[in-house]
Amino acid sequence: MIKIRSLVKDFDGHCVLNGVNLDVAAGDIKVVMGASGCGKSTLLRCLNRLLDVTSGSIHFMGNDITHKDTDVRQLRQQIGFVFQQFALYRHLSVLDNVTLALRKLRGLSRADANEKASFELEKLAMIDHRHKYPAQISGGQKQRVAIARALAMDPSMIVFDEPTSALDPIMSREVAALIRTLNEERVTILCVTHDVALGKVLSDNVVFLDRGEVKAEASFDYLCHDHPDAEVRAFFGRGESR
Amino acid sequence: MLPFIEILATLAEGVAYTVWVTVVCSVTGVGVGLTVVALRKLEISSLTIFLDVFTYVFRAVPLLVMLFIVYFGFPSLGVKLSPLLAMVLSLGVIAGAYLGEVYRGALQAVDDHEILAAQSMGFNRWQILLLIEFPQMLRFSFPGMVNEFTTVLKYSPFAYTVGMPEITKQAMALTGVTNQGIEIYLAAGLLYFAIYRILLLALQAVENYWRIPGMKPL
Repeated sequence: MIKIRSLVKDFDGHCVLNGVNLDVAAGDIKVVMGASGCGKSTLLRCLNRLLDVTSGSIHFMGNDITHKDTDVRQLRQQIGFVFQQFALYRHLSVLDNVTLALRKLRGLSRADANEKASFELEKLAMIDHRHKYPAQISGGQKQRVAIARALAMDPSMIVFDEPTSALDPIMSREVAALIRTLNEERVTILCVTHDVALGKVLSDNVVFLDRGEVKAEASFDYLCHDHPDAEVRAFFGRGESR
Repeated sequence: MLPFIEILATLAEGVAYTVWVTVVCSVTGVGVGLTVVALRKLEISSLTIFLDVFTYVFRAVPLLVMLFIVYFGFPSLGVKLSPLLAMVLSLGVIAGAYLGEVYRGALQAVDDHEILAAQSMGFNRWQILLLIEFPQMLRFSFPGMVNEFTTVLKYSPFAYTVGMPEITKQAMALTGVTNQGIEIYLAAGLLYFAIYRILLLALQAVENYWRIPGMKPL
């Protein structure tokens, strides 16, 4: 579904991504890990053209989306984005947070959008909170709404940007389980995180990004115990005790 | 000697003009302020410089000077305006310059992540402005807007200088024939206070209706 080749992104000469190669197959779950500032979020932002790449290519469903003729708004509707900070619209109820894009981008009537949103909220156990506002629900619930908002658009894949960083351990486990469930339902997922515990729960095959380069792609156990680079072993070893 | 209640009744004839000037100039101010803040979002440097100059000028020049330029100056250019339109083009636009700054501050309180989320979903710049930023900005700027509306009310007596028979004009006319200045201006003050109080209650009702549930005021 996604094929990233030799991706470079620099900001005024400061290279944040330096020749990244990455593949995500349809129905797959890919976890990209690395320390803060290694370029994980930049990678995601390049993926839906929130940032333009400096060089390299990103093929999404066979099309090079770095091409200037790419319909960026259409692309963005195909890639659901879930943020670390939830990013719910504070002035809208839970239901309206989910229906807004359906009504304004997909052109659904309010009744149809409500029906679709209610289906997604029901699935994520948030239907009883549909009339509440973001300030009235917990962090874990906000993240569920953010996921429902992404799912409602029927995206081809969902990308998660540090989905548990703003959550306590219990809520983190809930969200991790939810992401796994989505993947079991064949939703393609790309998740970037520095949370080793989350990475371990989500996938056995992990990509390690370091200073803008893919340093390793291997099983969690290998990266934790057998990788030749002590830095890599130390990074993944942090999650062992959890 | 006129009884106080009769003074109040006479001055009340000007209340409709005072309220009309206040409402029309406040609405104009909101329109101008929203336009200024929306144009700023275009981030076109020459336009931003123009908006900065507009804001500085209309905040710096006294209302009376602006009003006289519009009402007494424009006819020399062949443009004759009604007193209400002159008030709109002076007081309304000055209020707009102030409100533009109020809105600019409130806009900064909108969470960047919400804008990023909207961009990532495929909303365009204007959709984000109208659906995400403006609804929150208007709520966050409510205290500043209330301040500006009350300022407009307090500047509304300048309408008498261009011949509008609002409360102060009525008071001056009545003082001229009765020589009861203290009672008359006290009654005028009471009427302004009553209008202010009603305006405030109405705005508080709107603010409460608009308040985002669960969110503390900024």
